[in-house]
Amino acid sequence: MDDLKKAILDFAENNKKSKFYFSDMEKAVKVEFPDAKARDVKKAATALVNEEKLIYFSTGSSTMYGLKGRGQTEDH
Amino acid sequence: MAFEPREEQKQLKYQELRIFSDEELHNYTEEELKNFKIKHDIPFCEELEKGRWPSFVADAKREALHRKKLAQDRMMIERDVVEDLLGQLEVSFKHGETHWKHGGIVGVFGYGGGVIGRYSDLQEQFPSIAHFHTMRVNQPASKFYTSDYLRTICDLWEYRGSGMMNMHGSTGDIIFLGTFTEQLEPIFFELGHVLQQDLGGSGSNLRTPSCCIGKARCEWSCIDTQDMCYELTHYYQDELHRPAFPYKFKFKFDGCPNGCVASIARSDMSFIGTWRDEIRIDQEAVKAYMGGEIMPNGGAHSGRDWGQFDIHKEVINLCPTQCMWMEGDKLMIDNKECTRCMHCINVMPRALRPGKDTGVSILLGAKAPILEGAQMALLTIPFMKTDPPYDNIKEKVVEPIWDWWMEEGKNRERLGELIQRQGIPKLIEVLGIPAMPQMVKEPRSNPYIFWKEEDVPGGWKRDIKDYRSRHKR
Ligand code: HEM
Ligand code: HEM
Ligand code: SF4
Ligand code: SF4
Repeated sequence: MDDLKKAILDFAENNKKSKFYFSDMEKAVKVEFPDAKARDVKKAATALVNEEKLIYFSTGSSTMYGLKGRGQTEDH
Repeated sequence: MAFEPREEQKQLKYQELRIFSDEELHNYTEEELKNFKIKHDIPFCEELEKGRWPSFVADAKREALHRKKLAQDRMMIERDVVEDLLGQLEVSFKHGETHWKHGGIVGVFGYGGGVIGRYSDLQEQFPSIAHFHTMRVNQPASKFYTSDYLRTICDLWEYRGSGMMNMHGSTGDIIFLGTFTEQLEPIFFELGHVLQQDLGGSGSNLRTPSCCIGKARCEWSCIDTQDMCYELTHYYQDELHRPAFPYKFKFKFDGCPNGCVASIARSDMSFIGTWRDEIRIDQEAVKAYMGGEIMPNGGAHSGRDWGQFDIHKEVINLCPTQCMWMEGDKLMIDNKECTRCMHCINVMPRALRPGKDTGVSILLGAKAPILEGAQMALLTIPFMKTDPPYDNIKEKVVEPIWDWWMEEGKNRERLGELIQRQGIPKLIEVLGIPAMPQMVKEPRSNPYIFWKEEDVPGGWKRDIKDYRSRHKR
C-alpha cells in the first residue's frame, strides 16, 4: 500500500499536467507494479485523498485527480 | 421478507429540527407577490411565465420575495441569490451563451462526488451567485418521504443554500441548487449526522441508483426493486463516493417491463423484473371484461366513451408476437412466444397477472449522446433469479463488467460505447455467457455477432478433397 502511494505521488509530481484521470494514474503505477489491481490503486488514492495529499477535480460529469497545492488550488 | 435497514433509523421530528417559524414560512401575501419586482429587468425570463403551465420563473419569484422578507441573519448566504440567478439567466438568453463556469475541486471531505462546483463568470454583476454549487442528495428507494423529512430539508436548504431545489434530477437525487463553498461541510454534517441522509453520486462514480415504486405499491412488480436498490447502494458505497471509473455508471431497477423508471434507456445497467413461467389467467375475469362488467385499463381512459370493449381489437391483435387467441370463450396464450411486453396485463389487470417464477432481465449500455449517439440498452441476460443479498448479480454481472470497463474503457467512454467498440462477442466472453437469439434484433441486421474459430466444428480449415467429393468444380 505504501509502495503504491509513493508510486502515485511520483506520478502526480512528475506529470506535466496538474490534473489526470484515474486510468492514467493506474497505468503509471502498473509500470512499476504490474500485479497491482485497479482496486488497490483506488484504495491507495483514496488514502492519499484522506491524508490531503491528493484532491479530486470534478466537472460534474467526470472526475480527475490532482496533487494538492499544484495547479488550481483556490476553489475558483 | 420484512425490510431491515442497515443502521437503526431515527424518526425525524420537524418540530424539533425546524429552523424557521410559521410566521417566517408564510411571510408574504398574494397581493404583495403581484406587485413584487425583482431587482433585475428580466423580460425574456418572464416570457416563460406566460401560458397556462407552471413556470420555474414564477416559482423563483415567490422564493425571491420570501427571502427578501426574511431577516438577512436568518440565511447563511445572500438573500438575493434567487434574483441574481434570474438576472444572469436573462443575460444568457440575450447572449445565447451560458455564464456558468464548470467544475472545480469543491466537495466535502473524503468524497469525490455529490457536490458539483459551479461559479458565475459575471461575479461583479451578480455577486450573490459567485458560487452556485449543486449538491445531490441520495433519495430513498422509490422516493417515499415523510412530511417531517421534507420540511426539515427545506428549512436546512433555505438556511444554508438558495432555497431552490429540484425534486428530482434525472438520476434520481434531490438536487439542492446553489450554495457557497463554506456551506458545504455544515450541510453535509447536518445531513449525515442528524438526518441520516447521504449525498448521491456525481462525476466518474457509480451514480445514485434508483428504482420504481415496486412491491411497495405495485402488484406487477416481479422483484423487490426497493430492496435491490438499497442493497446495491450500500454494498457499492465506495464506488458511489470515490471515483475510479472511466466515466459515470448508472443502475436502475424496474419491477416489470412497463419500465416506470425507464431503466432500459437511462442506465448503464438496467434491471427489469420479469417471469419465466406463464402469465396467470383468470378466465372468469376475462369474460367479465368482455361482458363490460370490469373496466379495461383499470378505468384509466374512462373520461370518454370508447364503446364496447373488444378483446380482439384492444388486446389480441395488439400482442406484438401474436401469441394470443380465443378458443370459444377462453383466452389462450402461447407463453414461449410471449415477449413479456405487459400490454395484455395492463389492459386486463384483473384477468391476467405476471407469472410466479420471477427474476430479472439485465440490459447493458444505454446512454445519452456524448461520444456516440444516444442508445437503448442491449438485452444481455434474459433471465436471472434475484435473491437477497444478490451475490449472483454482484459477482457474475456487476463486478466482471466493471473490471472490464475499468481495464479497457477509454476516459469518458460509457459502457455502451465500449460494447460498440469491442463488440458483443467480447462482452459475452467477459460475462462467460453464450450468445443468445434475444441479443440480436433480427438476423443479419446486427453487425456484432461473429463466429470464433473454436466455435465452428473443424475450425476455419477444411479438407479440400472431402469438400470436392461433394462439390464439383
Ligand atoms: C430461387 C433462387 C434463390 C432463392 C430462393 C434464394 C433465397 C435466398 C434466401 C432465403 C437468402 C437468405 C436471406 C437472409 O438471410 O435474410 C438468400 C441469401 C443470399 N442469396 Fe439467394 N436465393 C436464390 C438465388 C440466389 C442466387 C442465384 C445468388 C447469387 C448468384 C444468390 C445469392 C445470395 C446471397 C449473396 C445471399 C446473402 C445475402 C446477404 O447476406 O444479405 N441467391 N438467398
Ligand atoms: C475488393 C473487393 C471487395 C471488397 C473489399 C469487399 C468487401 C466486403 C465487405 C467489407 C463486406 C461486408 C462483410 C461483413 O459483413 O462485415 C462484403 C460483403 C459481401 N460481399 Fe464483398 N467485397 C469485395 C468484392 C465482392 C465481390 C466481387 C462480390 C460478388 C461477386 C462480393 C459479394 C459480397 C456479398 C454477397 C457480401 C455479403 C456477405 C454476407 O453478408 O453474407 N464482394 N464485402
Ligand atoms: S415498472 Fe412495473 S412494477 Fe414498477 S411501478 Fe411500473 S408497473 Fe409497477
Ligand atoms: S405480455 Fe405482450 S407479448 Fe406477452 S401475451 Fe401479453 S401482449 Fe402478448
